[in-house]
Amino acid sequence: MAPAAPMGRGGSRAAPAAAAPPWHVLPDEVWEHAFSFLPADSDRGAAAAACRSWLRAERRSRRRLAVANCYAASPQDAVDRFPAVRAVEVKGKPHFADFGLVPPAWGAAAAPWVAAAADGWPLLEEISFKRMVVTDDCLEMIAASFRNFQVLRLVSCEGFSTAGLAAIAAGCRNLRELDLQENEIEDCSIHWLSLFPESFTSLVTLNFSCLEGDVNITVLERLVTRCHNLKTLKLNNAIPLDKLANLLRKAPQIVELGTGRFSADYHPDLFSKLEAAFAGCKSLRRLSGAWDAVPEYLPAFYCVCDGLTSLNLSYTTVRGPELIKFISRCKKLQLLWVMDLIEDRGLAVVASSCNKLQELRVFPSAPFDAAEQVSLTERGLVDVSASCPMLESVLYFCRRMTNEALITIAKNRPNFTCFRLCIIEPHTPDYTTHQPLDAGFSAIVESCKGLRRLSVSGLLTDIVFKSIGAHADRLEMLSIAFAGNSDLGLHYILSGCKSLKKLEIRDCPFGDKPLLANAAKLETMRSLWMSTCSLTLGACRQLARKMPRLSVEVMNDPRRRCPLDSLTDESPVETLYVYRTIAGPRFDTPACVQIV
Amino acid sequence: MAECKDSGRSPSSSMDSSTHPVLSTTSSGCRPAARRDDLSTDLQLGLSLSPASSLLVAESKSIPCTPRNRVLPDWPPIKPFLRSALTASARRQRTLFVKVYMEGVPIGRKLDLLLLDGYDSLLAKLRHMFKAFITYADVMEYHQRVPHEKAAHVLTYEDQDGDWMMVGDVPWELFLGSVKKLRIARTDKC
Repeated sequence: MAPAAPMGRGGSRAAPAAAAPPWHVLPDEVWEHAFSFLPADSDRGAAAAACRSWLRAERRSRRRLAVANCYAASPQDAVDRFPAVRAVEVKGKPHFADFGLVPPAWGAAAAPWVAAAADGWPLLEEISFKRMVVTDDCLEMIAASFRNFQVLRLVSCEGFSTAGLAAIAAGCRNLRELDLQENEIEDCSIHWLSLFPESFTSLVTLNFSCLEGDVNITVLERLVTRCHNLKTLKLNNAIPLDKLANLLRKAPQIVELGTGRFSADYHPDLFSKLEAAFAGCKSLRRLSGAWDAVPEYLPAFYCVCDGLTSLNLSYTTVRGPELIKFISRCKKLQLLWVMDLIEDRGLAVVASSCNKLQELRVFPSAPFDAAEQVSLTERGLVDVSASCPMLESVLYFCRRMTNEALITIAKNRPNFTCFRLCIIEPHTPDYTTHQPLDAGFSAIVESCKGLRRLSVSGLLTDIVFKSIGAHADRLEMLSIAFAGNSDLGLHYILSGCKSLKKLEIRDCPFGDKPLLANAAKLETMRSLWMSTCSLTLGACRQLARKMPRLSVEVMNDPRRRCPLDSLTDESPVETLYVYRTIAGPRFDTPACVQIV
Repeated sequence: MAECKDSGRSPSSSMDSSTHPVLSTTSSGCRPAARRDDLSTDLQLGLSLSPASSLLVAESKSIPCTPRNRVLPDWPPIKPFLRSALTASARRQRTLFVKVYMEGVPIGRKLDLLLLDGYDSLLAKLRHMFKAFITYADVMEYHQRVPHEKAAHVLTYEDQDGDWMMVGDVPWELFLGSVKKLRIARTDKC
């Protein structure tokens, strides 16, 4: 507690008892309370940088910590610096791991984080891991170490089994959320659901959609029945349709539902049962599922369409007409994820029906088929961008695009924050003019001043990167594949893009020079990924020497063990991953990854 | 308009990589095989290109130099769950792939019979695949019809009993129900 020191205000009159302490010597508790109103971590970080006392107050009161790269700092650093953390989120592998570009056993083990947390944050309530290797031991340790543990979220993780889930179910008395998104979970045939005690009623979120194995449905029903606060329930493929109807009747308060497998032969009885069950779910707002869908059952959902704000049909192979009929009833949709089977005419209907739409994702139904079978073109995206004024996030897989369409889209929707276009065939030009799509993407970055995330595709030259570098001031994440024609492209990006945090590049003719010329930029970024470009080992060595606070990882073909030391500077590098770190080089790399 | 230099084209950039010691191919295999099942890609092409042969393809300008001719296991960028769901649903759609061997050629081909609508399209497809004149059913009858063209090959198939029969005698649907393998035999051996 800093003592109040009078500052001699009011001239000759000395009244120490009545004088308020100057702001800069207020006690820490006051600052901690003030900082609790700062919404973003970045704001808290800025406050902490102001002066020593604010640093102390801020870090001691920080409750939520997000570590965007698990190797940027050591777990012990995190625990020491922020001793009061109650919720932690850690991300591991680079984004391109989702597409198989990162070698197996690359790293991102969750164990050191769990161990440090168990030691330093006994009051921890929430853990979120993304793209990390989480073992059953980790889950057992979590269940044993935190007496008030409430939220476990695992996204795109691997390394654990149903045995680990059993430990969580048995050990976490106050668990509120168990959210398993797109993990690879080994099925040990352990009935982990039965390990939630009968007295356990606190569940609000239960998502096991990615689990492959069977689930004891009776146990699930009992669990759902006794957890009156259950709001989110996402089932896996093991739950048949009629059981789904039963579950819904037991949990009519549900807000978010993942239907699991949604296919069965059509029976009018089952249809009525489903329809009645959905009619009871007056609070249902978000719907998703692995719908090997039978179109005949879609009308069972009609009664909830009015209230739906989020619809994830990315696994639905239902074709045009039934799909369109269904979606057109969902007038309040804010989020729509759908297969390209919706085609342009479906998107035209979406454009006219769903004008509250904020996020649209269109996935390819036949990405490996060279022939164009589905009529989804630039037309669909143009229509939606024209009629949905709140649209700000797009992920669009298609097979053709024109500059004119992109320019129109850019003019219609300057409010894009996330624009990801994937033209399935690399190097595809504007199909009407056969020109590169430079003009189109340039229009996007020039018009959308708030753009934070961008993925480009199609035939692109260095020109588009000049525009991106110059105009995309708020851009934080950029993904480039099969684009550009020289080092200049990369140079434009690294010398521009003021807010760039993550850059991921594959199969582009970018070489050493722009990398070395912009080495300092890399320290202002979270990470850089470059695979199948034109880099040499010498440049990587130079970069590592020049920038000691960067970790420069080079990845080789896992089948060839080739110690880096014996290779010359001219040796080409297949994959480079560079990230800033205060933790120094890591020691858990597999044989095919070396830190230069 | 700036031209796309060859170094920017993906097949050649990865072709170059295959000649260097350190570089890997693009398939660095992250998820277990059960998830990253790329059968559908092989099946669609009907021909698996090795890196060496696709190098030849890239060199010859007759075929456009795009990855369409080469299987990229990690493109387009879709997540493993969607990838395996699409592969699974593609497999559930009906296909009837049979092996086709030409006598004297050790390497066979594969063909989805459900994509064809009859014997004529089957023959046309095979003629295109093997660059040979193939006939079916009654060889003698064919020679009578087209005396100046003597086919060197005739199409036969192995049925469920393991017998080798000449293609064309039974209706197409019945044929589809019993065919296991195809073999293009030389007519002088029949």
